[in-house]
Amino acid sequence: MKSASSDTSSILSRAAVKSNIKLNASNFILGLVPERALPGPRPGQFFMFGIDSRKDPLLRRPFCYFRKEDGAIQILYRVVGRVTTLMTGLRAGETVEILGPLGNGYPDFLGSKAEEAGNGKGKTPLVIAGGVGLASVYPLLAGLDGRAHLFYGERTGASLLLVDELRRLSGQVTLATEDGSAGFKGTAAEAAKVFLKGRDKKDFTLYACGPNGMLKAASALGVDGYIASEEKMACGVGVCLGCAVKTAGGFKRACKDGPVFKIGEALFD
Amino acid sequence: MTDLRVGIGSLKLKNPVMTASGTAGYGAELAEFFDPSLLGALVMKGISLEPWQGNPPPRITETPCGMINSIGLQNVGLEMFLREKLPFARQWDVPVIANILGTSADEYVRLAAELDGAGVEGIELNVSCPNIKKGGISFGRDMAVFARLVGAVRKTVKSAALIVKLTPDAPVAEFARAAEESGADAVSLINSIPAMAIDVNTRRPLVKNVIGGLSGPAVKPIAVRMVYQASRAVRVPVIGMGGITEGRDAVEFMLAGAHAVAVGTAIFSDPMAPLKILDGIRAYMENHGIKRVSAITGSVRT
Ligand SMILES: Cc1cc2nc3c(=O)[nH]c(=O)nc-3n(C[C@H](O)[C@H](O)[C@H](O)COP(=O)(O)OP(=O)(O)OC[C@H]3O[C@@H](n4cnc5c(N)ncnc54)[C@H](O)[C@@H]3O)c2cc1C
Ligand SMILES: Cc1cc2nc3c(=O)[nH]c(=O)nc-3n(C[C@H](O)[C@H](O)[C@H](O)COP(=O)(O)O)c2cc1C
Ligand code: FES
Repeated sequence: MKSASSDTSSILSRAAVKSNIKLNASNFILGLVPERALPGPRPGQFFMFGIDSRKDPLLRRPFCYFRKEDGAIQILYRVVGRVTTLMTGLRAGETVEILGPLGNGYPDFLGSKAEEAGNGKGKTPLVIAGGVGLASVYPLLAGLDGRAHLFYGERTGASLLLVDELRRLSGQVTLATEDGSAGFKGTAAEAAKVFLKGRDKKDFTLYACGPNGMLKAASALGVDGYIASEEKMACGVGVCLGCAVKTAGGFKRACKDGPVFKIGEALFD
Repeated sequence: MTDLRVGIGSLKLKNPVMTASGTAGYGAELAEFFDPSLLGALVMKGISLEPWQGNPPPRITETPCGMINSIGLQNVGLEMFLREKLPFARQWDVPVIANILGTSADEYVRLAAELDGAGVEGIELNVSCPNIKKGGISFGRDMAVFARLVGAVRKTVKSAALIVKLTPDAPVAEFARAAEESGADAVSLINSIPAMAIDVNTRRPLVKNVIGGLSGPAVKPIAVRMVYQASRAVRVPVIGMGGITEGRDAVEFMLAGAHAVAVGTAIFSDPMAPLKILDGIRAYMENHGIKRVSAITGSVRT
């Protein structure tokens, strides 16, 4: 008899691990080859990632689409807890489960929609990344043809990732560390604020991803643009209402209504 | 051929697997993964008279083999439900069970009346909500209030099956019996269990609301026990849920006395979970030479 569950949707897939590259003690790039072709993905979208288990760990975890390389979808992950620690043990050839790409992604910032997305000619894209929020904005940099000014912050200099590559992809890079061990002393949003002093904010479009405190600071810079939320998620597909982002119109779902929101739409306490 | 049909009062289900309220939205998102017509029933996210905002984030945290949520019953409210969500769900060939919540008996009665009139096949009373009149103690924990509430809703509901979803922190047999005596067509359980988790580094609760509801495999043995006790206490059908992740979990609930089961948290780990669980039940029946799924109900050998 045909099983009812054999007709899986086009965004659910098992994927083979192609590579799991260590960048430093707590940051890795995982390359995945899905068993079936998945649509997209676009910058700012994400995948729900699960190691083959249904009970412990229970939930899949969200990770941004980072880039495509050698036919593999890559995600950049930082080790912070249970699943990300397990991920470090993945070897080439092992199988995992991914669901995605999910979420809206950044607006189509090239082509015909560029003006609408606030990315018309003459506007300089300001990209702000706090910590591993870098993974979200990374694919934007390539698409922005080297025009972006990237502000990238970490706690300390030793944690900064892929700096040479980021310089190649961006027009300008400002590094920031909270302890001042490299670049600007402070957060990436603070560095952007200093940069904007005396400049006309209308000349820029902002794209930011990082912890909520950073998104709040980025939203307060007075520049139009977009932030990508990393609110905790359970389902990633819009059914649980776990990933609440406060907006003027009530709580919205980061996974389904976002994770990218227009600056001013998402409110941070 | 396996016969998967089950009856819950006036409700005729083509199979015993439904979604658990609050874990499948109003069906639309799930339909991106599979045809909801394949389900026994679609249980909708809880509905109140007016829209509810819900609690501030963070709203979820994973705990060993489970999760705590403090969604706070965020929902679109009755009007939007009737105008958009219910008509949308009508495209599928599946019974719709509305789940209702209120802060007073009057609110429950008004919701039930409107939904019954709108033709939903089932109405599930979530009695785990704080009763404002009684200083916030839930309807499901105060016997007199509980029996009156079920009785009042019973009088209102003419065509839909009336399901009472029991609170896990009240004596289950007594409340199941009271639900039956007050006119419930079925009882369902368990709702998520009040729980708390703290980040020891920041000393902050892991959900902003401090206390949330525990669900998932961690609650399953408690849920099976409660379904067993409820099913021994009443003659009306019992709908079992709590941590069902695979077919054998569902079978376990049925052995304990459930006529049907609901799948909740497992959907978050895998949107296809309800159908996989249905496949698992079917496989169990084939392996054990069971022709009718209803034959499993209550057949635990004690
Ligand atoms: C849309 C989205 C995209 C993301 N993209 C990436 C990415 O590309 N790379 C990456 O490394 N991480 C990303 N994250 C964060 C990542 O999902 C979490 O770090 C991961 O779930 C942690 O899992 P764990 O089991 O290792 O940690 P757990 O054991 O679950 O938790 C460990 C600690 O991490 C905290 N934590 C868990 N989830 C989050 C979260 N969403 N945000 C902040 N803190 C959290 C917990 O509160 C806890 O203190 C993203 C999150 C979202 C919502
Ligand atoms: C995120 C979430 C939201 C829920 N919302 C509701 C709700 O609105 N009404 C209700 O009666 N139960 C609600 N529940 C409880 C579930 O319907 C179910 O009773 C419980 O989660 C146990 O089943 P599970 O372990 O399979 O999830 C919710 C549970 C979760 C996890
Ligand atoms: S994570 Fe479930 S609704 Fe967004």
